Amino acid sequence: MTVETLDPIAKQADTTMPPKVSIENLAFFYGESKALKNISLPLHDRKVTAFIGPSGCGKSTLLRILNRIYEMYPKQRAEGKVVVDGLNILDKGTDLNMLRAKIGMVFQKPTPFPMSIYENIAFGVRLYERLGKEEMDERVESALRKAALWEEVKNKLHSSGLGLSGGQQQRLCIARTVAVRPEIILLDEPCSALDPISTAKIEELIDELKDDYTIAIVTHNMQQAARTSDFTAFMYLGELIEFGETKQIFTHPGKQQTQDYITGRFG
Amino acid sequence: MVDLYSRRRMANRIVVSLSIGAALLGITWLVLILGQLLIEGFGALSLAVFTEMTPPPGSTGGLRNAIFGTAVMTSIAILLGTPIGILAGTYLAEYGRESKLAMVVRFINDVLLSAPSIVIGLFIYEMMVIHMGHFSAWAGAVALAVIVIPVVLRTTEDMLNLVPTGLREAATALGAPRYFVIRRVAYKAARNGIVTGILLAVARISGETAPLLFTALNNQFWSTDLNAPMANLPVVIFQFALSPYEDWRKLAWVGALLITMAILAVNIGARALAGRKAS
Repeated sequence: MTVETLDPIAKQADTTMPPKVSIENLAFFYGESKALKNISLPLHDRKVTAFIGPSGCGKSTLLRILNRIYEMYPKQRAEGKVVVDGLNILDKGTDLNMLRAKIGMVFQKPTPFPMSIYENIAFGVRLYERLGKEEMDERVESALRKAALWEEVKNKLHSSGLGLSGGQQQRLCIARTVAVRPEIILLDEPCSALDPISTAKIEELIDELKDDYTIAIVTHNMQQAARTSDFTAFMYLGELIEFGETKQIFTHPGKQQTQDYITGRFG
Repeated sequence: MVDLYSRRRMANRIVVSLSIGAALLGITWLVLILGQLLIEGFGALSLAVFTEMTPPPGSTGGLRNAIFGTAVMTSIAILLGTPIGILAGTYLAEYGRESKLAMVVRFINDVLLSAPSIVIGLFIYEMMVIHMGHFSAWAGAVALAVIVIPVVLRTTEDMLNLVPTGLREAATALGAPRYFVIRRVAYKAARNGIVTGILLAVARISGETAPLLFTALNNQFWSTDLNAPMANLPVVIFQFALSPYEDWRKLAWVGALLITMAILAVNIGARALAGRKAS
């Protein structure tokens, strides 16, 4: 094991482009308690970065900072920098709605809105674009195709999104996110409520989506991280223990803690 | 141990018998009241009830003006009270939450919810009737609206609180501003519950007598003037039932039957709606 593999900066050199997102000295507080300490890592453009670690390590918290969804709750705050395309999104002046249109998020539990499948997808699009009927139809179809759901729902676009199965609902949520044309997609344990077949579908989907989007995924499933991601960050107790290429993290982890976690010795 | 067990079984039997007895006792009165109401009410029901005005003592007539008045004042009260109730409930559930103002509003609303309706009648009498110099349908409608507000407010707040946080987060994560999330997602998810609350408010006010006694009073004749006193079923029932005239007492029974049936229908509607899942 060389010193080089321990250094996350060395891994950055693998990609020729500057990172899409650069997290610098990030800390996060729930009221008085500090949930994240001094986190720094990049999210590379059009790559999948997986966040792994035991429950409560702060990986979901980290994801929720990237679109500032935590602002919905008054006692939560972040310190440090999250630079997206050269701008620190934690700055006061950031337009949160525009930020969230650019950085989409899919949650652990499928959350279809209580409206038709079509309306579920048009909902987000209508917020920022005025499309004619035909254009909207096309947008809905392409989003559903991207989420590998079109074939299953094309004949019932106007029935309720709540009538779909769990796996279909989650793909509907992904379609909804994609329809807004974000640049970055955050996936917070998107498969934890799904059966293996639905999970496989979503993983395939992630593989296709990374051609167009920068993706960050939080997962408890080690195999999923290994299968779907290009980079992996291992977190423990609010700290980033190790970050690097997925292949390297899973075959030659630089730290004992990482080794213990991925081999199932704890967590 | 066996002894302990058999004693417990005995205690169980006694308590179960007592509670069944209490339930039967309660239902008995309800059945007696409804039975009497149905017999007397249907006995006096005729087409004239819907086509003729309330009669002077000793002659025949109907309840047309009273039915109309109750419908008008109930409708205006709902139109006035519902928006205020929904907006205030939305404030409590979505914006105020645990703030000082929200706590105070919530507390006052609870007081208002259980305030005797005669107090509300007197309040509107002081506020409107005295200033206007006469009784009026407007004053009646406003008094009823004051009763509508806390009912709608409470159900709106409760129903919005039941909307899963995940749904709000999902809409927010798409870039939807807060008001948009409330209007398009939270209201939609809570719609059936909120409508149920409005229906319950209709049921609640359509039988209220005390607030109308001090505000709309009554009117022997057909009147559509909202600035004049207006007939209404509860006050007509109150007046006719206590009178010595046979015709009046019969009409009072019919009026009571009509109100009871209307409230029953609204309640069944509310139940059916509440039981249906939002889709």
